[in-house]
Amino acid sequence: MTTHDCRDRISLLGSYLDGELGAAKLIELDEHVVGCETCREEVQLLRAMRGSLKRVVRTSAPSSFRDRIGNAMAAERARGDAMLERDAAAFGPAVPVAPLPTWRTLVPLATAAAIALVWGAATRGTQTATEARAGVIGDDLLAELLSEQSEPLPSEASNAQGVRAFEKYVGVPVSPGNFERAGAHLVGGRILSFPMRAQRAAMIRYVVGSGADERHLSVLIYDAQKMPEVGRANLAPRAIGTAEVRVGREKGYSVAATQRAGVGYLIASDLDPEKSAELAAMVYNDR
Amino acid sequence: MLTPAPGAPKHDPFADEALSHLDAMYGVACKLTRNPTEAEDLVQDAFVKAMRARDQFNTGTNLKAWLFRILTNTFINKYRRGGLERSVLDGPDADPLADGWVSASTMRQLREPETLALMPLVEGEIQRALDALPAEFRLAVVLCDVEEFSYEEIAQIMGCPIGTVMSRLHRGRKLLQRTLYNHALALGIVKGEEHPGETVASEAPPRLADYRARKRGAA
Repeated sequence: MTTHDCRDRISLLGSYLDGELGAAKLIELDEHVVGCETCREEVQLLRAMRGSLKRVVRTSAPSSFRDRIGNAMAAERARGDAMLERDAAAFGPAVPVAPLPTWRTLVPLATAAAIALVWGAATRGTQTATEARAGVIGDDLLAELLSEQSEPLPSEASNAQGVRAFEKYVGVPVSPGNFERAGAHLVGGRILSFPMRAQRAAMIRYVVGSGADERHLSVLIYDAQKMPEVGRANLAPRAIGTAEVRVGREKGYSVAATQRAGVGYLIASDLDPEKSAELAAMVYNDR
Repeated sequence: MLTPAPGAPKHDPFADEALSHLDAMYGVACKLTRNPTEAEDLVQDAFVKAMRARDQFNTGTNLKAWLFRILTNTFINKYRRGGLERSVLDGPDADPLADGWVSASTMRQLREPETLALMPLVEGEIQRALDALPAEFRLAVVLCDVEEFSYEEIAQIMGCPIGTVMSRLHRGRKLLQRTLYNHALALGIVKGEEHPGETVASEAPPRLADYRARKRGAA
């Protein structure tokens, strides 16, 4: 075997060691490695490095830290259950709430919101398996939007025209007009990137009112066909007229979401929750 | 089947199973942030997010990979706004020397007993070399070599194609090897290559005593 052949082959040795080669390549490399000193040494070195890396990286979390995490998870669980119960109590059967239909959310709600539940199950059906699978990274869009609302990064566009130009990066129409018709004044926008999803979303900032009544509104516009599950984990479904929206409160902001024609809208604001829900309903109805 | 009594669901199988991966999450978080305090915050964020999104986890599928995906995503959004990709453009990906060629005899020397006798020193060097890798290479190497995830799982965790995983692994390992080789060369454990310009700087290896003195001075 010549050195030149090994140069071509050497990039495969990692996959060989990792057990990630197909059967044919595996057999070929098995035979080659037996006869080729260079490649054999490369495999041995990779193996030795792997051992060193394990020793260097593996560590035990401090026991106090383990307790802290256990407590944080328990608190989060309690918070989630309380939020569902509070929403159920606040909205009641008059404005029906359909919790995510899983056994864990259904149990605490069973008595408090029995009527709402029947409505929810009848009108919304259950979350599909596709949606459940798509939801592996949950509420990252919401988390980013909230961090934009509390600690904004600089705008990349400052007017409607600039914001519309985000369309080619986001893959769905970005129409800032919906909210301006409701009296919101556009103050800026930027593109947020979600590399784990290989997706981007447009974020538009608005101001509503002035002086002491000035309120801030951030809207995230994203491809709802690629990310259909956004908001499902944290926001409860609502019906406003015929509009389907989701509402909730996160980190002190009111949050509302809706989808229309394959475009998702996620709204975070310091408006009261009803107003946010109405804005979402307005977008939903804007056909 | 599972109907916990109201107000008393203390035992939580999901939380228990998630916590069984705490050491692994913490170890990788330390490597990602290179700072134990930040690693703790990152891991806590990830576990709280996992708890919040637990409805979206399909029971029976790979919880560890799911947790690591949340960890990675949280890291990117919190510490690396703008994503991992950007740094690769300026990083060693553009460096043709990353595909360095080291001879069989050198590689053997690198793992021989006398090298192993200097192991604490070498492992300290691996630690430093790993920390110096761009985050995407570091993460790929750690997920594969330490946590033994499959390429497909790593692709899911990092949100990139399998081909990208393979190239990040290959380049990450080559960079580690090169650093290790340079280190061994400096220590006089290995002799220089016959075609030095191709892989490493061709300067004469400094004497071991000098090297150690320099290390002490730097520490």
